[in-house]
Amino acid sequence: MATPVHAADDSLAKVQQKGTLVMGTSPDYAPYEFLVNQHGKNVVVGMDVEIAKKIAKDIGVKLVIKQMDFDSLLVGLQTGKVDMVLSAMTPTDERRQSVDFSKIYYKGGQDIVVNKADAKVYKNHQSFVDKKVGAQTGSLQADLVKKQMPESSLLGLTKVTDLILALKSHKVEGVVMEEAVASAYVQNDNQLALIPGKFDLGSDENGTAIGFAKGSTSLVNAANRSIDAIQKQKLLPQYLKQAGRYMQTNTTNTSMFHYWRFFAKGIGYTLLITAISVLIGVVLGVFLALMRLGKVKVLHALAVAYIEFVRGTPLMIQVMFVYFGIGIFIDIPALIAGIIAVSLNSGAYVAEIIRGGIESIPVGQTEAARSLGLSQRLTMQTVVLPQALRNIWPALGNEFISLIKESSIVSIIGVTDLIYQLKVVQTATYKGVQPIIVAMVIYFVLTFGLSKLLGHYERKMKHDEGTN
Amino acid sequence: MTKALIEIKHLVKKFGDNVVLNDISETINQGDVIVVIGASGGGKSTFLRSLNLLNQPTSGEIDFEGTDLTSLSEKQLDQVREKMGMVFQQFNLFPNMTVLENIKLAPMKVKQADDAAATAKAQALLKQVGLEEKADAYPSSLSGGQMQRVAIARALAMEPDVMLFDEPTSALDPEMVGEVLKVMQDLAKSGMTMIVVTHEMGFAREVADQVWFMDAGVIAEKGTPEEIFTAPKEARTKDFLSKVLAQ
Repeated sequence: MATPVHAADDSLAKVQQKGTLVMGTSPDYAPYEFLVNQHGKNVVVGMDVEIAKKIAKDIGVKLVIKQMDFDSLLVGLQTGKVDMVLSAMTPTDERRQSVDFSKIYYKGGQDIVVNKADAKVYKNHQSFVDKKVGAQTGSLQADLVKKQMPESSLLGLTKVTDLILALKSHKVEGVVMEEAVASAYVQNDNQLALIPGKFDLGSDENGTAIGFAKGSTSLVNAANRSIDAIQKQKLLPQYLKQAGRYMQTNTTNTSMFHYWRFFAKGIGYTLLITAISVLIGVVLGVFLALMRLGKVKVLHALAVAYIEFVRGTPLMIQVMFVYFGIGIFIDIPALIAGIIAVSLNSGAYVAEIIRGGIESIPVGQTEAARSLGLSQRLTMQTVVLPQALRNIWPALGNEFISLIKESSIVSIIGVTDLIYQLKVVQTATYKGVQPIIVAMVIYFVLTFGLSKLLGHYERKMKHDEGTN
Repeated sequence: MTKALIEIKHLVKKFGDNVVLNDISETINQGDVIVVIGASGGGKSTFLRSLNLLNQPTSGEIDFEGTDLTSLSEKQLDQVREKMGMVFQQFNLFPNMTVLENIKLAPMKVKQADDAAATAKAQALLKQVGLEEKADAYPSSLSGGQMQRVAIARALAMEPDVMLFDEPTSALDPEMVGEVLKVMQDLAKSGMTMIVVTHEMGFAREVADQVWFMDAGVIAEKGTPEEIFTAPKEARTKDFLSKVLAQ
């Protein structure tokens, strides 16, 4: 199929029309992109953000930043959640098959971070024979390990912070990282040291570029013009310097108390998502359970199919499906998408709890009600369901408690729940273990406190209705 | 002058290949007190539960006050069932409601009675069964005999035209049987049409107008208590009575 030379795609026009340029990024990669706390709010800063601001300014629109997991970024592009991706992304051939890239805007070497005590043992990438080496999953660095360090074994993790943790606990002996990121970590942590990677880097694979949806030629061209300007005016060193200053303010106070706002915000979102999801889940669950127990064959089959399907697929995939899949048709914010997915999931489990509760009510109760002339519906409403709900109260409480934990999966689409905030604090403080402990304690206090509270009300309910 | 209240025509009930009721045709007149006796597994409970279609007959007709119940929709059936009070072996009181609420539920939800009227009626019925002081108690705090008397009051609250009793004293401790039978006896005296499945031969002898002996899915023999207990004709009736009366 011949493409006209002046193929006028409307990607640039569209962005200008809506007045915003949406950038997707995974802000755990200082100095490229990371989070700082400004006046109690999380703000994404870094070199990539400065570049994105420049592009937005050049085409005359406002920059909007959407945070998501690195693994989700390309999907975000394909589904139109974001207009472009700046996340220290290397334009590999595999990626080029699904998205378009701008020209390379930054070339850095690939280095290896090791524990300071080992700095003399390892010289370069060839020193790691029979050792374990870490790299970010799906990254250029992971590819380098696979191809150029065949005698080392690779540990792939999603987050750089987790990789550093793995290094410190000797799960790996070295972590392959982009030069700028590696030096940021070494500067902020005196237990780490840097050794040159000395990899054989191909031309294109060595550098980072901006990702766009396939066919956004006009937008790519606009970005390329801005990149040209940045290089001409030598703006990159300025951007990096600025990022370095942010990193220092970040590391001046790394006590966990200093970050209490981060955790508080995370608790708030975790509880919000859980509470709303349980409420919707109970309503949905009652309907599904009644459909499943009912005599109408079509409704019964639908309920069974729904329940089995939802229970047979991971919540993580459901969250991604709602956000990215349904997101193609309607633009749902990440928080709403997360609540929808968790609610739909919870509905299936609650339905089975309620079905069990209804089936546990002796058939004599139904017969007595029906013999008094109560319709099937009235029997369910006034006799069976109230008793069933009382019986399943403990199970519903458990569902609520397990949802507090399971809802943590929404962090992958960038909902700022407790897990997400934990990672933010890890990135901000360069401390791996402490935020994990804080989050763990918070989760425990939440779930344990709730189960005590529910137990209290359970006893009270029993007491009110006499011993039974 | 007798008026047919329930006419049973060729009633058959099968569970799979198992024929539990085998072509029963009988008539129950208004004011009759019929006691159904027989060995376990003879189909007594299934027969009783077929009358208000808690068990759907496999074939045959149940004509109640001139209407064939087997031809009715679920909704029409609800309106008929309220006129056929039923008392169960296991009482089946609603444990999440007080005694008063148990009795008021159906009048208020089905007949849309207002709360004051339903309460007054419920209290009168509780007095009738001798339990007016238990109005606000939950079923779990009552004895078996008290629970069964509440269950009778609950069924009466719908002002039924017939009362069906499914082994009402079988789950009771012996010392509580009397109080329940007394309530039933009073009810019979008041002219209520009653069909009672029971093992209480004394009750059958004293209260029944007719005793039906059921065996192998048919009414094997029927007659006045006098006829059945003093001069049974069928061998299986004799056999059954000799066993239960020997105890």
